[in-house]
Amino acid sequence: MNFKHKYFFLFPGLFVLIGILIFPIIFVVRLSLSGWNSYNPGLDYIGLENYIRLFTDDPRFWESFFRLSFLSVTTVILQYVIGFALAHMVWKDIKFKRFFRVLFLVPMMTTPVIMTVIWRTFFHESLGPVNDLLSVFGVAPKWLTDPVIAKFTVIIVEVWQWTPFMFLLLLAGLLSLPKEPFLAAAIDGASPVRKFIYVTFPLMAPISIGAIIIRLIEASKIMDTVYVLTSGGPGTSTETSSFYIFIKGLREFQMGYAASMSFTYLIIMIISLTIIAKVLTKVLLKE
Amino acid sequence: MDLVANNLSYKPDDQYHLNEVSFNFKEGNLYTILGRTLSGKTTLLKTIAGLLTPDSGEIEFDGKNFLKVPVWERNVAMVYQQFINYPHLNVYENIAFPLKQRKMDQSIINDKVMDALKSVGLLGYEKRKIQELSGGQQQRVSLARSLVKNAKILLLDEPLVNLDYKLREQLREEFKNLFSKGLADETILIYSTTDPRETMELNGEVIVLDEGKVLQVGSAKEIFENPNSLKVAEISNDPPMNIIEAKISDNNIKFEGINLEAPQHLSKLTEDGLKIGLRSSDIELNENGQEFEVELAEISGSETLLHLKRGDTKIIVSIEEVLNFKIHDKVKINFKIDRAYAFNADGKLAASPFGGLNGQN
Repeated sequence: MNFKHKYFFLFPGLFVLIGILIFPIIFVVRLSLSGWNSYNPGLDYIGLENYIRLFTDDPRFWESFFRLSFLSVTTVILQYVIGFALAHMVWKDIKFKRFFRVLFLVPMMTTPVIMTVIWRTFFHESLGPVNDLLSVFGVAPKWLTDPVIAKFTVIIVEVWQWTPFMFLLLLAGLLSLPKEPFLAAAIDGASPVRKFIYVTFPLMAPISIGAIIIRLIEASKIMDTVYVLTSGGPGTSTETSSFYIFIKGLREFQMGYAASMSFTYLIIMIISLTIIAKVLTKVLLKE
Repeated sequence: MDLVANNLSYKPDDQYHLNEVSFNFKEGNLYTILGRTLSGKTTLLKTIAGLLTPDSGEIEFDGKNFLKVPVWERNVAMVYQQFINYPHLNVYENIAFPLKQRKMDQSIINDKVMDALKSVGLLGYEKRKIQELSGGQQQRVSLARSLVKNAKILLLDEPLVNLDYKLREQLREEFKNLFSKGLADETILIYSTTDPRETMELNGEVIVLDEGKVLQVGSAKEIFENPNSLKVAEISNDPPMNIIEAKISDNNIKFEGINLEAPQHLSKLTEDGLKIGLRSSDIELNENGQEFEVELAEISGSETLLHLKRGDTKIIVSIEEVLNFKIHDKVKINFKIDRAYAFNADGKLAASPFGGLNGQN
């Protein structure tokens, strides 16, 4: 099996990998050590200056990061709970099962940006139908301009948009479960509720972990929803990391600084997702 | 507490899975449901367990309408032919599962689980994962799980069928011990099987089921000695009983040019269309016997099964030793005709060497 040209066959794959992953990462690292901005576009070398600024003099980045953590964890938990409930519902033999299965997937098939524009119209404080309905009760929440409520508006839109994806993964998981343990559990005296707690949920643990991690990675990139819905406002109250990096890099053209933020963000995400995956595995799989 | 069923019928497609099945099972007894695959055995057990609802008929247990009781409140235990356990739990947790559902004390659970582990010979395996066990061990776990509950009704659905020969022998022996040394006197034990040998060994009350219908009910001995019809004779013998179309006249049984003197219990039968039934073990090789041609010889364990042919008559002979035959070899056999059964044209028992007539004994 040891022949001369074996590395030659690895080359196409390696070439693509270098082109789209390894080079960009190395370039970002190099960029982060430069002062590239609109006045001074060029790969000069300023050492760790950008990182020192990020860690000592930029509370806005860290605020946006913790906001992002809150938003992504909350949306993913909600998506998981709702997605599981919906999947469980259409897993059993109910009427119009196929209809509901398709219906629940519809949000995922829509274009997120366009749907967010529609949601923005929905939640418009003086013209939107939501407040129009709520005016019956004499309330008119500031869906998009209150710093606290705006966060929940983002959460609602995110959950609506991405629960179907969770639903899809969990339904596939439920359908792949062996039927036998459920027969055994019924005979062993487990009521439907206990059957869910002691059989369905533990059997679904590996799939749940996968689904949650996939969604967490996706959710930690929340950007389009915020961009269209609130533009990070009011103030910076719905600004997320990716949105802030986008502002710094592609609006203010502080490329060097944005690169250092991106790289820091990447490292933090890798570490925290690894920890989350480990913890979930420990808790759900008891391993 | 009796388990009584009246006219249970279940017909999910164009075939009856259960057809007017009635029975009266008494506590402290072992019942064996004997039938071929697809005869409705599993359907019947699932109906008792509550996993299926029959189209019509009723089940009563302890004077209550059992069909109204949800599965998880029925106090039934079941062992399936596919070794069903909980894949996400270890051996100990698997066995403890039914007890946990009853919210028992941890220390009581522990004692019971250990007892059950001991009775199925799996002490020391508590921490093992189910997937790490062999098929036989997995089936023991599910047996332990069903024993630990002290259920009033214990259902065993062909528990040995998916095991290899050695293990089957061994577990069958263990079953016998378990059953005889007293599952509590108030348990109703229902065991389904396709294997007549298992039925005879377990020696309980036998219900012969075919196409969802009960064909005969009786002790293992009764079924063996006086099968009430051709069908029962086929189902309750492995290999199935040989059926030979013959004529009886002048005290002679005649078929394929063979003339055998009719034994006393067959001599009075003269009607047309008689079929003579003879077990494969009641035919022996004999130098002075009738000549047949070998169609197939299969060796199973320490037995040789000879499929023989003469004219249109095909028979199977089982010989208690390993012999080698070639196809188209000629062999000479002797019929132990005094052990022959006779069935009349519509398949009912006409005469049996054990004295039963029409199976009404």
